[in-house]
Amino acid sequence: MSSNYEKNLPNQEGYFGEYGGKYVPETLMLALSELESTYLSVKGDLDFQKEIDKDLSSFVGRPSPLYFAERLTKKYQGPKIWLKREDLNHTGAHKINNTVGQIILAKMMGKSRIIAETGAGQHGVATATVAARLGLDCHIYMGAEDVQRQSLNVYRIKLLGAKVHPVDSGTSTLKDALNEAIRDWVTNVDDTYYIIGSVTGPHPYPMIVRDFNAIVGRELIEQANNNFGKNPDAIIACVGGGSNAIGIFHPFIDKDEVELIGVEAGGEGIKSGKHAAPLNDGKPGILHGAKSYLMQDADGQVMSTSSISAGLDYPGVGPEHSYLKDVGRAKYLAVTDQEVMKAFHELSELEGIIPALETAHAFAVLPEVCSKMDSSQNIVLNVSGRGDKDISSVASIEGINLE
Amino acid sequence: MNRLTKVLSQNKENNIKSLVAYLVAGDPCEESTLELLNGFALSGVDVIEVGVPFSDPIAEGPIIQSAHDRSLKNGTNLKKILKIIKSFRKSNSHTPIVLMGYINGFLANQSEFSNFSQHGVDGVLIVDVPGEYSLSDIGFQNDSILSVSLISPTTSKERVSDICNASSGFIYYITLRGVTGANKINVNEIHENLLTIKQSTDLPVLAGFGIKTKEDATEISKLADGVIIGSQVVEMIKNSASNKDFKKIYNYLKEIKHSINL
Repeated sequence: MSSNYEKNLPNQEGYFGEYGGKYVPETLMLALSELESTYLSVKGDLDFQKEIDKDLSSFVGRPSPLYFAERLTKKYQGPKIWLKREDLNHTGAHKINNTVGQIILAKMMGKSRIIAETGAGQHGVATATVAARLGLDCHIYMGAEDVQRQSLNVYRIKLLGAKVHPVDSGTSTLKDALNEAIRDWVTNVDDTYYIIGSVTGPHPYPMIVRDFNAIVGRELIEQANNNFGKNPDAIIACVGGGSNAIGIFHPFIDKDEVELIGVEAGGEGIKSGKHAAPLNDGKPGILHGAKSYLMQDADGQVMSTSSISAGLDYPGVGPEHSYLKDVGRAKYLAVTDQEVMKAFHELSELEGIIPALETAHAFAVLPEVCSKMDSSQNIVLNVSGRGDKDISSVASIEGINLE
Repeated sequence: MNRLTKVLSQNKENNIKSLVAYLVAGDPCEESTLELLNGFALSGVDVIEVGVPFSDPIAEGPIIQSAHDRSLKNGTNLKKILKIIKSFRKSNSHTPIVLMGYINGFLANQSEFSNFSQHGVDGVLIVDVPGEYSLSDIGFQNDSILSVSLISPTTSKERVSDICNASSGFIYYITLRGVTGANKINVNEIHENLLTIKQSTDLPVLAGFGIKTKEDATEISKLADGVIIGSQVVEMIKNSASNKDFKKIYNYLKEIKHSINL
């Protein structure tokens, strides 16, 4: 299988196979090439790596543990189930791995103003957090609908000294927050650094965000070896834009024995059309600067999406995932909101871990995946974030009044 | 000769500054678009830029964004836009038309590319494709359609010449860092950059994004070969939508054309 897979992607133009690229308004082209050259010049630099490693250990709390989920394993009677605990990071999700790295790039480039988009609010919190440490002016764009359903994170962002801009154009969710952040960047490009939160957007972002998240997979190689003496047989992660999934997949891509499984938001079911699963039910198109699978109608208009989780409620996906799908190196499943709620409760009750609704998507494929595997095998799920932010939405979905 | 090249080069020879006006096709409705195209042409507009609506127009400010939304709600698509232009050509065979839109909307309708010129389209401007790519680079094989490219205040000197080499219609100089309709024109910077571009190309160089008043237009047209007016026109179309009385817009365009050629 690896023979199909080209290594060292993206290429110089920013493509993973036919996916990726730089499809942006002209005003941003210079900013993208400056970012690319800054990143490439420091990428291999030991001092740069040291600075990141220091923040990752003393500020983020890395490495995140690999935890054996004994009761989940017993329940499914298949492979041993291990959890990579990104939910234990400072700010509660994998998103901080990327912002800690990008803020250093922003500083090197002399930018005084930081902007970011956010869906579930985790990337907004992670961005506001690193901006606060450097005392930088920080602006977070968030769909008006997401501001409602993730109000706790909105307040956290404000406490960290950043400004939240609710976006009520289009569908008032993550894609519209990205549109608005790009418009801000076009306007303030001279002094502003845009910290994109997923492996989406124009080149070089999908590469940079992947590289900063790949610490998760690199730690896992060592932890797997220490705990069960070999690589995992399968790795499972949820996919919206796909940054937590690429982060844990990437160091294993050339290890053919490791099955890579991404899980998209199936919303009310793929057949209903109300979902956010472009890899399962989209076709290649161009949105937010990159070519990738996209939910779109016959005229190329981007369709509105539906998901119980704000962080996966996005019509596109990172270009590298589109490539991994086409070459058959990763497979992408979809689960419904209903299956997600079941998995959310199961993980909370069996293992004492309340996951983010995004993360719960990965757990919802356990019945299917485990039924085909046996106890000699090991699978790892990426617990990309914790569920504190979702408690009030879950209560309201289940008709419980917390007042 | 392509209609676009003909009009712009004749104007240049005769020392006439060109006026380009923009509208979003299907806003407020298909019939109005046809009426507006004719009205623009009769008001001294030299080239009409017809916006193809897209769900996520990232380069547009709020005025043009909402025009895209209104048009999409009316069910406008590329096929219908080509039909409108074909009808326009029944009464007007001289005013060039440039389609301006986003790449995903064009690629989804790739089968229509070959019909562009027979429907009366003269050029294409794709906002989110870097200017050094020619139309054929992105799968657009139609030699009779010219490519209009954007150059901005942040475009590096090396890229200015690459972009000019890949363009065939005219160069659209973006006068500011920002979205359409913004308000931050810096005349000195514009003049300096226009000079740089003119050293790289013989193509006409027109300027737009944020030009609203006669004064802006006059100032910019001193160095550019003409000006492009978008948001201001689109806002006026919105305000006239209820009674479909577009006279004010036509008067405004006549005044602009007059003031850039004083």
